[in-house]
Amino acid sequence: MDSLRIPILKIGDVLIASIQVALHDASAVQFKDDLLQKIHDTKARGVIVDLTALDVVDSFIGRLIADIAAMAGLMGTRVVLTGLQPAVAITLVELGLELPRVLTALNLEKGLAMMQSLTEESGDDAS
Amino acid sequence: MTQAKAAVIRSDLDIVIARTLARDTAKALGFGAIDQARIATAVSELARNIFLYAGTGSITVREVERQSRKGIEIVCEDQGPGIPDIDLVMQDGYSTSRGMGMGLPGAKRLMDEFDIRSHEGEGTTIVCRKWRT
Repeated sequence: MDSLRIPILKIGDVLIASIQVALHDASAVQFKDDLLQKIHDTKARGVIVDLTALDVVDSFIGRLIADIAAMAGLMGTRVVLTGLQPAVAITLVELGLELPRVLTALNLEKGLAMMQSLTEESGDDAS
Repeated sequence: MTQAKAAVIRSDLDIVIARTLARDTAKALGFGAIDQARIATAVSELARNIFLYAGTGSITVREVERQSRKGIEIVCEDQGPGIPDIDLVMQDGYSTSRGMGMGLPGAKRLMDEFDIRSHEGEGTTIVCRKWRT
């Protein structure tokens, strides 16, 4: 069965991916691969992954998001996670997955503002 | 009492189906949004555990009542290889190569009661419950 593809949009030099449906494991792994490839292809300086629509983030998806942030970081791209629902934040911490190294913002708007200040301070070299 | 409903776990798609079943049942039983997320997340961890280590199994979700308390009961059964050392897998951070090391202890923390029985070569049964507050 084909895995579901998450659309990845480009605005300026920032990529935005909004996950709107419950991901099964294979489509989540596909998303990671697609996103890293798109970072490479577009030379994006930042990525925002918006999880507003997700009502469950289990350890597999949580770990995958942490991996994406670490891998994008190795490529020189910052990842900001936005829109975690209160119930998702609570269950992630209770599960033991606090994502300490992942940047987060309350919503997409604040995430974009955070990305702007991050990419400004890191200079203009990736344009 | 609502009827028990079961989901068969055979693929990673079934993990999503099982946790949706658990969430819908929890919602119908009057659990709040945060407990619904806890229950759905616990079922996701348990279903993934079946998929990764046993290959196939089942998850049954039903309403339970004890004294005057109402709750939800999740029963996970598989005929997989079994768990040789339960204390070890219930430790935070313990994992074989494919797991995250937080599946079972994480699911236990999200639920109120958690009972695991396993026999090598026969399979594993996990019964967990959460009570409505």
